[in-house]
Amino acid sequence: MNKLLLTALLSLAISGGAVAGELVKMKGSTKGRVNHEFIYQDGCQSCHQGSGKKNATDAACVECHGDINSIPVDETKLAIPEASPHKSLHYNQGASCLACHGEHEKKAPVCAECHRTWFDEM
Amino acid sequence: MQGRRHFLKLTAGAAVGTVAATLPGTVQAKTCGEINWTETVDTLVVGSGFAGLSAALNAKRQGLGSVLVLEKMQVIGGNSAINGGWLAIPKNPVQLAQGVSDDSPEELVNDQIISGRGMQNEAALRQIANRALDAYALCINTGVKFKKDFNIQVGGHNKARAIRTQHGTGGDITTKLYEAGVKEGVEYRLQHYIEDFIMDGQQIIGVKVRKNYRFPDLKTGSSVFIKANKAVILANGGFARNMALREAVDPSLDPTLDCTNALGATGEVTLTAMAHGALPVHMNLIQTGHWGSPDEGGFGWSNALLSIGWHQGASISVLNGKRFMDERADRKTCSEAIMKNRYQDGSPAYPIVLFNYDNYAKDDRVVRAIRDKMAWKLDSLDDIAVKFDIPVTELKRSISEYNTHVVDRKDPLFNRKMDTAEVLQGPFVVSRIWPKVHYCMGGLKTDLGARVVDGRSMKPIKNLYAIGEVTGGIHGEARLSSTSCLECLAMGIVVAETIKADLQGAV
Repeated sequence: MNKLLLTALLSLAISGGAVAGELVKMKGSTKGRVNHEFIYQDGCQSCHQGSGKKNATDAACVECHGDINSIPVDETKLAIPEASPHKSLHYNQGASCLACHGEHEKKAPVCAECHRTWFDEM
Repeated sequence: MQGRRHFLKLTAGAAVGTVAATLPGTVQAKTCGEINWTETVDTLVVGSGFAGLSAALNAKRQGLGSVLVLEKMQVIGGNSAINGGWLAIPKNPVQLAQGVSDDSPEELVNDQIISGRGMQNEAALRQIANRALDAYALCINTGVKFKKDFNIQVGGHNKARAIRTQHGTGGDITTKLYEAGVKEGVEYRLQHYIEDFIMDGQQIIGVKVRKNYRFPDLKTGSSVFIKANKAVILANGGFARNMALREAVDPSLDPTLDCTNALGATGEVTLTAMAHGALPVHMNLIQTGHWGSPDEGGFGWSNALLSIGWHQGASISVLNGKRFMDERADRKTCSEAIMKNRYQDGSPAYPIVLFNYDNYAKDDRVVRAIRDKMAWKLDSLDDIAVKFDIPVTELKRSISEYNTHVVDRKDPLFNRKMDTAEVLQGPFVVSRIWPKVHYCMGGLKTDLGARVVDGRSMKPIKNLYAIGEVTGGIHGEARLSSTSCLECLAMGIVVAETIKADLQGAV
């Protein structure tokens, strides 16, 4: 796992100007996050254990990034201090990564269903 | 038993109308055959709001074996996670410390009888009220924090008995119940959508589930069969977000009405239960709040903001700049008056509510509303007229007339009680209003032990239980605020006891 994380960091360094999480073309018309480029080289199976629409969970996200509470967010960008999405007062550990993050397309986080001005599409 | 298990006569999938059409691969009625169970658990809970989480934890604590909670969304907590965190507990410690010594479960039931207008289930309400301190203890022992020294009287209650969670959201409770459940061995799965029940005659033996489902796309995920040895507990909540069903049972609920609920409150499992004989009651009793704002999602800040606006301010139609209702009338009266504000094509002409900014500039209800752009600070009536496209002359005339009514403490137009009204002189806080659908009083008929009743036999469907908003007939015409959380937590305790007793009876 640590090795994967290291690879991720390296790939981030190599891709230079691109912002982590930026959506770019990966394979044909499929888009993906630039920091995940190295994963696409191994095919889709790293995340989709099976075919695409049938199998998308956050197991693969957690494998590299760790659990939700341990992933830091930029607190200077929060609307209010309590609005930290990785320490949500509504969900805390009970939120799937997929509730807010989309790999292949931009997505508004689940929080934005109510708090319309707090979060942008990512 | 082994042989029988593998040769069950299935009567699954008699789902109704459009629901059946949207369920891919539904098991057809009267299919004979073998089921390849993907896995087997003892107790299966459907839904992860207050009710489901309480039931799961209490089932575990009652020794009901392995407990699995299935949630169709990508977050744990259902609508409870975004609820306001109010909880009615007669004889709670803060209430006693405040010197309120004459409250009791029976006092709460009396309030609910008035609000239920003869349609309520008194015995069910009494059972819930009698377990209020147990529900409170469940919160405390799982680490839920409440606002310190806070206990107030809320609408329709004759005593101050409503406490509120630390951050003013039900998430303070759902996160703790979930984390306690994880610690004590309850298993939870997100993105699991119930496609059908698997019945063995008058007994539920398992469910067909779409695993890795992504709301609301029914083409996502794939079907698995989960066997439930001891019980299936339905805690899937209400259906206020199911526009077609809402309109079918109450045509007066306009499609322009948004909803306070989480997006998953669509009630498919309720319909599936009905297709298997569960008796629905009071489905048309759906609660609407007149305090909604079209400029925010969910329940939002509007209700709290308008607790100032209805008293110290005035509501104005954008169509003609005039007041149009007694701002302090009840929910139903106000909802009807607000919804009459429409453009010629029938689309909503959201009325505005305004009050003086200066007196409330530091009030949190105002600060957060302006910060989150669901209300605006505007300096003059001219500015208001421009922003909301209101005839300016008429607006000025209306406010000046209103101000004389404030001074006179008399409202000849709508007979509003004017004791709390303030002369409006700007700058102003202004927000827009439109009612929102809030809560379903109707749902599945259950007995006092939370057993789901089959309408054909009027007897319980074996091993099938339901608690919380999915059930119907408990509250009658109108549910009082802060009583749903109580009901869900308490019935989670009751259902675990029922299942334990039913299992002992079966031996």
